[in-house]
Amino acid sequence: MATVAQLPVERARAPRPRAGLRRRLGADWHLGYLFVLPMAIMVIALVAYPFCYAAYLSLTRKYVGVPPVFVGFENYVRLAYDGFFRRAVWNSFVFTFASVGVKLVLGMVMALVLTSRIRYRNLFTGLLLIPWVAPTVVSALNFLWIFDASLGVLNYLLVKVFRILPQGVGWLSEAGTAMASVIFVNVWRGFPFFGISFLAGLKAIPGELYEAASVDGANIVQRFRHVTLPSLRNIIIVVMLLSTIWTFNDFAIVYILTKGGPGGATQVLPVFTYEMAFGAQRLGEAIAVALYMLPALAMVIIVLSRYMRRSHAR
Amino acid sequence: MTTDPRLRGIAAELDAGLIARREFLRKSAILTGGTAAGLAVLRGMASAQPKTKLRVWLFKSYVTGGNDILAKHVEAWAKERNVEPEFDWATFGDREQKFVAAIEAGNPPDVAEMNYQGPMRYKAALRDETKLAKDLAAARGGLLPYAARVVQFNGQYFGIARLAFGGGLHVRKDVLAEKGLKLPKVYDPDVIEVAKKCQDPAKDIWGFGQTLNRCDDGNGFMQNILWDYGGGAWDKDGKPALATSNLKANMAALQFAVDTIQKHKIQPPGVMGWNDASNNEAYMAGKLVSTNNGASLYYAMGAKKHPLFEKTQVILTPGGPAGSFVFAGAYNWGVFQKSKYHELAEDMIRWVEDEKRFEEYMKACSGQAGPVYKSRAEHPYWKSDPNYEGMLQNIMRSVWPGYPGPISPAAIEVQAQYMLCDMAGRMVTAGLSLEAALKEAHGRVEEVYKIRGGK
Repeated sequence: MATVAQLPVERARAPRPRAGLRRRLGADWHLGYLFVLPMAIMVIALVAYPFCYAAYLSLTRKYVGVPPVFVGFENYVRLAYDGFFRRAVWNSFVFTFASVGVKLVLGMVMALVLTSRIRYRNLFTGLLLIPWVAPTVVSALNFLWIFDASLGVLNYLLVKVFRILPQGVGWLSEAGTAMASVIFVNVWRGFPFFGISFLAGLKAIPGELYEAASVDGANIVQRFRHVTLPSLRNIIIVVMLLSTIWTFNDFAIVYILTKGGPGGATQVLPVFTYEMAFGAQRLGEAIAVALYMLPALAMVIIVLSRYMRRSHAR
Repeated sequence: MTTDPRLRGIAAELDAGLIARREFLRKSAILTGGTAAGLAVLRGMASAQPKTKLRVWLFKSYVTGGNDILAKHVEAWAKERNVEPEFDWATFGDREQKFVAAIEAGNPPDVAEMNYQGPMRYKAALRDETKLAKDLAAARGGLLPYAARVVQFNGQYFGIARLAFGGGLHVRKDVLAEKGLKLPKVYDPDVIEVAKKCQDPAKDIWGFGQTLNRCDDGNGFMQNILWDYGGGAWDKDGKPALATSNLKANMAALQFAVDTIQKHKIQPPGVMGWNDASNNEAYMAGKLVSTNNGASLYYAMGAKKHPLFEKTQVILTPGGPAGSFVFAGAYNWGVFQKSKYHELAEDMIRWVEDEKRFEEYMKACSGQAGPVYKSRAEHPYWKSDPNYEGMLQNIMRSVWPGYPGPISPAAIEVQAQYMLCDMAGRMVTAGLSLEAALKEAHGRVEEVYKIRGGK
């Protein structure tokens, strides 16, 4: 049996972290590492390694079937001077912010309407979710037909049925209407997500807050401004940030409707990346395009994760 | 008939009275039964042996009848050679993506049907098939000049030519006859005049349907029209020439292309938003009097028994002041270096390119399986329908990407990035001047030329 005097000596022989480190890592740090290990391996294999390899490839001249040649920051520099790339960056921001802005307004309207006492509320909720549930490719292909200048249903309605226009509009063939069209489809597809998220948030606001505001003489606009909006603040931020990431990375809608045309008027970064990879088949440069998006998206992700952590702490 | 020597031995012993009849029967039963059982086991083992799998990528064109025949031919070959073919079909939309992904993953097919871009773009992963390509060509009177350019690089053949897509200007001959007009031969003034006289915008019927948008149809037209006016993206040495030595001709050509939309107004509104299928749909809906297209449009109308099938005349693609040029890409077979069964792949190519089999395929393709070999151009099939004549002549005079210089990786990339379409698109939709659009496009072409190491 060990004596009291012997114990510190034996403990000192055992392999264990120094007292400061142990305090930081915890008493059961061995087990902790064991539990974290599988996840760490997965993150390294599925996220860190591909990302680092992609970052390396972006610094190379890489053509299909031949080994990469290191060229430093040449790809990034070249892209910075490429007018079509710069236009794609601008278009991406226009596409993203216009889409998210409209989705925010429509989503809020949808949520407010669905919280009011209307008949068939559940039916309307279900119907309004259809655009969100439908596969993007199917929606985009349908809109390709709807927007077709000669055979599309939209021009048919405007010209033949309602006689609003004397002649059909080339929705996808003019720079302005093409961008508006792809934004419209993105909004159509994305606003139910806003609406349903806001609806969940609205249902969590205690009725007493509205009653108290009414007693204080607040009208409907004031109640919305001073009760609804502050209560939904965190949901609005999280939904907007998530939607910003998704919209910024949206490929299918633009590619199917316009392929970035006409003349690059709707060219956005994901489509530009795709064309660089499979059209030009310059894989290093394609990855450089993708990585150019990283700072903007990283900002959004940092803000988003901060808000999510904060709301979790509460 | 040969008898087992052991059976002969015991028979001799029986004859000599060395063994009893019963003993003879016992021994012969063991011998024959054992042999039969052994053979059965061997046969079982042989049939359990897995067949060689050959990964074959075919191209799924809009001419579905041809696709079926080609698949049937490959299957028949596989049965004959006891091979299991593993088919995969690439389409216009996903062909290059599949090749890029498979090559980069180190898992390409054994053999694939590629378009004109394949030999130039994937030569690092393709086998040099010079011997087979030359053998097949020699037996068929030689390759047509455009096809010879497409499948080889520095004298090495990375593709074995198969066919070229036929096509031409599809014209509503009934409408022209009604107006007493002749078929157009050049774009300016023929096509413009015919279009103006035949169209009726109030009824949404337009004289000419030709997009300049980012798609293969737009690419083909833009390339042809530059050549028709004596210009082009490249000079004879294969150097960029859009806004240098070919500037004057290119200005005239680009102006004409844009004028069809903005000045002459012979194209439907929305034409700049079209994709490769849009003109087919508009033509079949009776909205167009003329449109350039591959034979797939003619095939589709025939297959659907469309009323416009009989009212359509397919003619030579119109030309310009410098002549009439058509871009044509030879479809071809590529055998990949990674293939363990390249001899089987070569054997399959010889089988499907057999003249009788190709004839069956060609007849199912309604003009789409144009000749790449001289002897195939003389086949009576091309005289069997007046519409095939125009398609054949288009193929016979076609040129390669990069013309009048050599075909090069840079020339292929300029096409693949739709740079000539963007040039026109920037004029039509962004209001760029003629000079600015050409200068911008020239800058892009030059950049590609530099990146590709001047090739």
